[in-house]
Amino acid sequence: MSDRLAIVLDRLIPGDPERGWPTPSAIDLAAKARALADGRGEPTLLDAIAARLPDGFEAMPEADQVAALSHLEAGDGEAFGRLIHYAYGAYYIDPAVRRTVEVRTGYPARPPQPQGYTLPPFDEALLETVKTRPPFWRPVPKR
Amino acid sequence: MAAIREAEDRADVVIVGAGASGAAVAWRLAEAGVNVLVLERGGWHAPAEAASTRDDWEWVLQTERHPDPAIRRAAEDIPVTADDSPIRPAFYCGVGGSTLRWGAHFPRFHPSDFKTRTLDGVGRDWPISYDDLAPYYDLNDTIMGVSGLAGDPANPPRATRPMGPFPLSDGMERLAAAFDRLGWHWWPADGAISRDADPLTGRGACNNCGPCGLGCPQKARASTDITYWPRALAKGVRLRTGALVRKIVCDRDGRATAVDWQDGTRHHRTHCDTVVLAANGMGTPRLMLASTCPSHPNGIGNANGGVGKHLMHHPTAIVAGLFDAPTGLPKGPFACALYSQEFYETDTARGASRGYQMQGLRPQGPLATALGGYAKRLPWGADHHGAFERTFGHDVSLTVTVEDLPRADNRVTLDPTHTDDAGVPAARLTYALGQNERTLLKHGIARAREALLEAGAAQVAVTPLSRQAGFHFLGTAAMGTDATAITDPTGNVNGCPGLVVVDGSLFPSAGGVNPTPTLQANALRIADHLLAHHHASLTVAA
Repeated sequence: MSDRLAIVLDRLIPGDPERGWPTPSAIDLAAKARALADGRGEPTLLDAIAARLPDGFEAMPEADQVAALSHLEAGDGEAFGRLIHYAYGAYYIDPAVRRTVEVRTGYPARPPQPQGYTLPPFDEALLETVKTRPPFWRPVPKR
Repeated sequence: MAAIREAEDRADVVIVGAGASGAAVAWRLAEAGVNVLVLERGGWHAPAEAASTRDDWEWVLQTERHPDPAIRRAAEDIPVTADDSPIRPAFYCGVGGSTLRWGAHFPRFHPSDFKTRTLDGVGRDWPISYDDLAPYYDLNDTIMGVSGLAGDPANPPRATRPMGPFPLSDGMERLAAAFDRLGWHWWPADGAISRDADPLTGRGACNNCGPCGLGCPQKARASTDITYWPRALAKGVRLRTGALVRKIVCDRDGRATAVDWQDGTRHHRTHCDTVVLAANGMGTPRLMLASTCPSHPNGIGNANGGVGKHLMHHPTAIVAGLFDAPTGLPKGPFACALYSQEFYETDTARGASRGYQMQGLRPQGPLATALGGYAKRLPWGADHHGAFERTFGHDVSLTVTVEDLPRADNRVTLDPTHTDDAGVPAARLTYALGQNERTLLKHGIARAREALLEAGAAQVAVTPLSRQAGFHFLGTAAMGTDATAITDPTGNVNGCPGLVVVDGSLFPSAGGVNPTPTLQANALRIADHLLAHHHASLTVAA
């Protein structure tokens, strides 16, 4: 039996093999998104939202699947937003996706800590213009 | 069924809340030998366990570390309902309070912020001046650890910070140059973040990681659990975590004499000379209103019905510029880059009183960018990956944070349909923007857009009022000398001897910048007053 949520995720985040972005189905995103939802006490949420799509959704042409999702979004933006929240959440914390982020943007795939990043000094020369300005805070008359 | 008290003890002073102000007061009093007990409903959050060391750190930031309690769903949170407010509450419960979740942006109020009624005919004057707080600002800076640069022409002169400011990103440098070309002020932000390690306190140096709100494994970003609390505990302060306050107990003369609290199912009564409320501008009026008794049938300090009224936030718009060229990756303290106070002081030509600050925000991580970051959620479908690559590391954002004038209709009340485990009703927030704030926001959004376009932004996205920006709860038990004041100028609650407020509830006006340095300085001032006038003769603890 096909996994409707997996298809939904593939339509939401289509992947781009040429640029290295994995498809959700390639990284088993449906299971990971369900796990995130389960961790938030919403184990059935994503499948329940997907179940609101038309019968036969799985067999539709991709363009019709996209249209069905757009219809769902237009009809219940809040529920659709929760679907997107978990879809993007699971996708962008996935190690494979973080590696692609690093390759495409230079942002390291590792967590920010404990390594951190180089901390250069502040360039005080940037203040050359504003330092010429006299004080302009508003004084309060003494009583 | 009536509660059963299982334990009774005594302290000179009981402080409710271990956050920004409560920690400062606990330390100051304990330094002088006062026997202090602090009750904190949350627990400790070890810096070493901060989620910024985890692969899923961005998910944690969106969920269990979210500032909105409705999203975070932490058992220890103060229960709150905010259906009647366009701004969601944002706070954190634990040893360190909301400093556990903040960005450590550390500005001071201007002298004019203390005298808005005198100068502009709006709001309420403080019963003290900037000069009264100046030495306490300096003292607080030494404990919290501040990086920044002296010489800002928008602010009064002050001492050189022990550590220099944080560098700007490429995008922030473009913005700074744009401010210069427009002839507008800007300055590098002060941050309660250590650039340098301090072996004496065990605090490390900032390593520029970015998500300060997750906590800081380096102990570089200040929170009071690593600044005031080690000092306070060393001086003998007793701290009880997981402690839910049930009631402030008053005698037949109306004097506060004890605090009823519980940890789990165990009930306590701690007798004391002074009760200090440091539970923030939402939690403090909640406890005052909930602590009814024959002496205070409408709640403590509420004979005039004023407790909880005049709630002030800092209404905030976010204006995000999207650039064709990269502007820098999400590195560096997210809230400590630069600010402009060009429009901070009143200019009646704007059609409003008072003013606002524009504050530069560093970019957010990949997930936050996809979910909208400071702009719009990225589209799903065919263009998703293209939109991500055009957006991530290509944005510069400005907040526009305006002064909120006090209005009686904006308030904290009790919601009896919802209680915590101690049976205390939830806080209910009722809030609406006033015309002055709307005018300032509109003006500020236009100026922020102008600055970003001058900096080279190809597109600008505007969030006219940030929903998740209710970080500051101010003015709900204001100090003063007139009939509407809830406390006297040193936080003593009118009509309730022995009860003192020290947190942001006291603010008669809100200023247009983050309030933590001001509320901490004011708390230290009040602590010194307590020592001088109430506890001077106490026996020094062994």
